[in-house]
Amino acid sequence: MATKSRYPTGVRPLLAGETARRRRIESRFVDALAGAGFSEVVLPIIDYIEPYAALVEPATAKQSYRFVDREGDLIAIRSDFTPMLARALAPSIAPGALPLRLFYRGDVIRIEASRLGANRELFQIGAEIVGDDSIDADVAMLRLAADLVRAPCIEPEPNAEPTIVYNDVSIAAALIAQAGAVREALAAKRMTAGVPDALQTIVAKLISGEATLNDVAPFAPEAAARLSAIEEAVAGDAVFALHLDDIEDSGYYTGLRFRVYAGSARTKVAQGGRYDNLYERFGQRAAAIGFTFTIDDLD
Amino acid sequence: MRIAIPKGRLQERALSVFADAGYDIPSETDLKTRKLVFDRGGIEWIFVKDGDVPVYVEHGAADAGIAGLDQILEHECTAYQPVEFPFGHCRMMLIAAPGAPPLTKVATKYPRITRQFLDQRGVHAEIVPLSGSVELAAVLNLTSHVVDLVETGETVRIHKLEMQEVVAEISPRLIVGKNFYRTEPKMVRELIAKIEEVAKVSS
Repeated sequence: MATKSRYPTGVRPLLAGETARRRRIESRFVDALAGAGFSEVVLPIIDYIEPYAALVEPATAKQSYRFVDREGDLIAIRSDFTPMLARALAPSIAPGALPLRLFYRGDVIRIEASRLGANRELFQIGAEIVGDDSIDADVAMLRLAADLVRAPCIEPEPNAEPTIVYNDVSIAAALIAQAGAVREALAAKRMTAGVPDALQTIVAKLISGEATLNDVAPFAPEAAARLSAIEEAVAGDAVFALHLDDIEDSGYYTGLRFRVYAGSARTKVAQGGRYDNLYERFGQRAAAIGFTFTIDDLD
Repeated sequence: MRIAIPKGRLQERALSVFADAGYDIPSETDLKTRKLVFDRGGIEWIFVKDGDVPVYVEHGAADAGIAGLDQILEHECTAYQPVEFPFGHCRMMLIAAPGAPPLTKVATKYPRITRQFLDQRGVHAEIVPLSGSVELAAVLNLTSHVVDLVETGETVRIHKLEMQEVVAEISPRLIVGKNFYRTEPKMVRELIAKIEEVAKVSS
């Protein structure tokens, strides 16, 4: 059998050199997170599909490996830590125990069309603040992500400062709620005929990159105010860039959304944001914000 | 910045768009050589098969390019499509011989788009992927139907086939990779503004 000489698409062993490299980065990350007051939790590698069914979009669900276990229940291999943490924590959160600062590490398996064949098994380290809906928490997580991506374990690239692009998903959500065609226009970055007259100006400004917080404030005042406060707090650091047109992968996110790009190829190495409604779905209200680094994408 | 130009049907139009936008493009003598990569005016121009442009841009091997919506959809390319061009429009059609049996087998160069089209219709049919001269499949009864691009309709007519339904309206677009868009906003804005201007003028 010819196939025995290879591994299934997307997984491979790491031998001594690569493993040492991964562990080196991992231990710096873990030290930095522990230093910032985050405690580690361990989440299972598989879980039932049913508890997550309502909150995972069909396209996302298709990205995970799923199978039927011996009892006949549908099971998925871990593909996203965040909802799993919510399910693990929500039932046992004691009043007064919040906020919690937690981190986790491990593999997820995810079939992403945008990744070339390899790399379905991704080693990730993520951190979350649960039970803190403040702007301070937003800023703290943005700063922590910036510190991690600039950590000395990551070889500095001469002409490639990392970039952290941030936005608030509720702005686009407010516009899309008025007219579905806005989603299409913002996704393609091109004005389409379906965008109603009343929204033409704002959508055109978002697409062309001219839109300011003042422009979006009438549509999403709360988000604009938050972003303005965040912008002010991170103003001194050139790594941060506010991109109001960025509406990718809003998923379960409800507010701040950010992505970290680094290395000479400007690869996306981390992403995160605020998801204040996620815990509620598992029985307990708690605001939360977090991010996840895919360690092997760091070069 | 690295820009992918599609070889074949769209190549000439694509190059003249960039020339009209003031970019220093590879000359005709350049293109007669077998080279596929050219440095001109600080831009790296790469020449790839039309269907490969979305692949290069999707994975960041090229920052931007020009690609037909057919290839963008077939490759499930998630790159931004900031400019739609007024030239090169065509239709992806469902085609069959007159009096063809019900839709059971479809030959196409676009299996993914065809699958989505059939799924939307709730039609169960087998897809036969081919790489060219797709109409022949219907002429020779390899399949009951074919899905293919129709520009003038000449190929369909001379083979005495019928166009049954529009699968998609196809136009070429400027596509820009997502990571490039987020990390080089100034360069991206300049590129889009220049190309948009040319597209507007020529429409």
